[in-house]
Amino acid sequence: MNAPATAAPLVPPAPRSAGNFVIEAHGLTKVYGAQRALSNVSVQVPPGTIGLLGPNGAGKSTFIKCLLNLETPTAGTAQVLGVDIRARNRASREKVGYSPEQDCHIAGMAGCEYVTYCGQLAGMPFRKARQRTHEILDLVGMGQERYRLVDTYSTGMKQRVKLAQALVHDPEIVFLDEPTNGLDPSGREHILQLVGSLWRDLGISVVMCSHLLRDIERVCDRVMIIGHGRLLEHDSIVGLKSRHRRIVEIAPAGETERFQAALTGAGRTVVKLSNGKLRVESASDSIEWVLELMRDQHLPPAEIVANPDALHELFIQSIAADHG
Amino acid sequence: MDNTVDLSRWRDVPRGVTYRRWTIVVAGLRSLFRIRFFKAVLIVAWVGGALIAGAGFVFSQSLASGGWLETLAQHTSARAEALFTVLAGLMAIYPDIVVRTFFTFVFWVHSFLGLWFSLLALTVLVPQLITRDRASNALIVYLARPLTSVDYLLGKLGIIVGVLLLVWTGPLLFGWLLSMLFATDRDFIVYSLSPLVRALLFNAVAMVALAAIALGVSALGRRPQLTTVVWMSLWLLFGVIAAQPRAAVWLQRLSYTQDLGEVRQEVFRLDAALTDAATNLPILNQQFVTNLTSAGKKAEATDFNGALAALGVFVVASSLVFFRKLRPE
Repeated sequence: MNAPATAAPLVPPAPRSAGNFVIEAHGLTKVYGAQRALSNVSVQVPPGTIGLLGPNGAGKSTFIKCLLNLETPTAGTAQVLGVDIRARNRASREKVGYSPEQDCHIAGMAGCEYVTYCGQLAGMPFRKARQRTHEILDLVGMGQERYRLVDTYSTGMKQRVKLAQALVHDPEIVFLDEPTNGLDPSGREHILQLVGSLWRDLGISVVMCSHLLRDIERVCDRVMIIGHGRLLEHDSIVGLKSRHRRIVEIAPAGETERFQAALTGAGRTVVKLSNGKLRVESASDSIEWVLELMRDQHLPPAEIVANPDALHELFIQSIAADHG
Repeated sequence: MDNTVDLSRWRDVPRGVTYRRWTIVVAGLRSLFRIRFFKAVLIVAWVGGALIAGAGFVFSQSLASGGWLETLAQHTSARAEALFTVLAGLMAIYPDIVVRTFFTFVFWVHSFLGLWFSLLALTVLVPQLITRDRASNALIVYLARPLTSVDYLLGKLGIIVGVLLLVWTGPLLFGWLLSMLFATDRDFIVYSLSPLVRALLFNAVAMVALAAIALGVSALGRRPQLTTVVWMSLWLLFGVIAAQPRAAVWLQRLSYTQDLGEVRQEVFRLDAALTDAATNLPILNQQFVTNLTSAGKKAEATDFNGALAALGVFVVASSLVFFRKLRPE
């Protein structure tokens, strides 16, 4: 049985005012010998759920580590929650949570003991830390396992406890590096829902690093794309999609040939994909014209998705442009 | 799975950095107390403290008028009674020399035990200090919080200091306090203070050296077995090599236990206490006087400055190791 969480009534989120930025970086640079891991990154990130995208070795983790002072920037300045990371080293992390990509824990501690300890390290009194620990562990979906040594956890359990330790002290911003790695589909779904609700329900800004573009697209409202240590894109998901060529993907329930003919007849360029779906270029984000066509031509029902891989295409475009 | 975000919020002002460092110390000590071997060392160390108290108690009671030794002597023979009278007389005339020599000797013996117990306890602690954190990437857990690497080190240093206080300083002070509690004369308190201060001074020097070396060794690798082997080698292997009668001076200085031994002799000045007793006490047996003087000579420090410099090198080298390795990997 999980320990009872004496949760107080839900406090409505108190988001930071839109004028404030949760992250501000100016010319942030990190050089390792001859390698430039981060090159003159300047960005102002408003509160919300932010996705951090980039290929392996692009500098995403270095960017986060510099913001957390886990790496000392070679040049440039940065503020997290309005606090200068160099001038006020400790204070800049007081309201920040971090769940790193790699496996990390304190050996010899049970799950709940470990999360409580992390709360205390952030300055929480023991009783408060213990209470929040049980609430957070309930939230990330950990049951009796919380009383077992963290060393014995499966990858999924370690992922959950990492998320719990990042949230235990009630941060205002949380950095999550690949938070769904190693989780089974239901666990992944659970964590994504939770991450999505952090900003919506609690006003906790999230910076989520992931290779899974669909996860980012689903959870985040803004995206930053980093390549070769440089910031390639930074915009809201809506803004990015509006800059993308419009695509509608249609999966007809039957009569695919008639569907294709009707679309071609309407003057559209249609590509039939290997999975039987039809890919059509559209003039706008609206799918109203497809529904009209289906009604007029008495076409069978179909699954219609607008801009299905918009983020993926944008990502590839950005990286390709950077290489070019 | 229910994942509605139903949380109590925590909006209090976070506690200061001292509390966070203290949290590291408490967690480290708590994990040590789960180890049976450490508990056994602790018990034996406190038995050592009780032995100091016992020795002090017997010493003070023995020389007190109306004490058990006087009663025993009276019931044994006239010779024993005369001997007791001489001892009590010495105490009455030369309380400073008698009490100081006795306690210098007792604390000198205890310093061997205290150092030995500390080294044993540190053998258990060293792989748990930084090695284990490096192995499980725990440094990120610490340094992603409002803590700096210096805070982390101070927390770890606090664990070592806590251990040494528990197995060395604690029993020493406990033994002295308890023996003073039943002292028959304030002379015992007054004249035992100087040896106590010397014992605490040596304790402090050893604490600084051992703490730095333990942190350095612990930061050396990511495998607990490796750090244990390095620690044991530095302690035992170098100790044995340096203890060889024909070992060169530079070889002796390579052993920090040997260096601490030199510092011990200089700090306690047992040689001076024994020579003082042999010179000033009216001891009629010349052989006894000779023995005391020669024992004093043996307890003399021969290369105190060299030992202190070598310990300094150990501390600096260890500091370089742990400051270099204290970066998240």
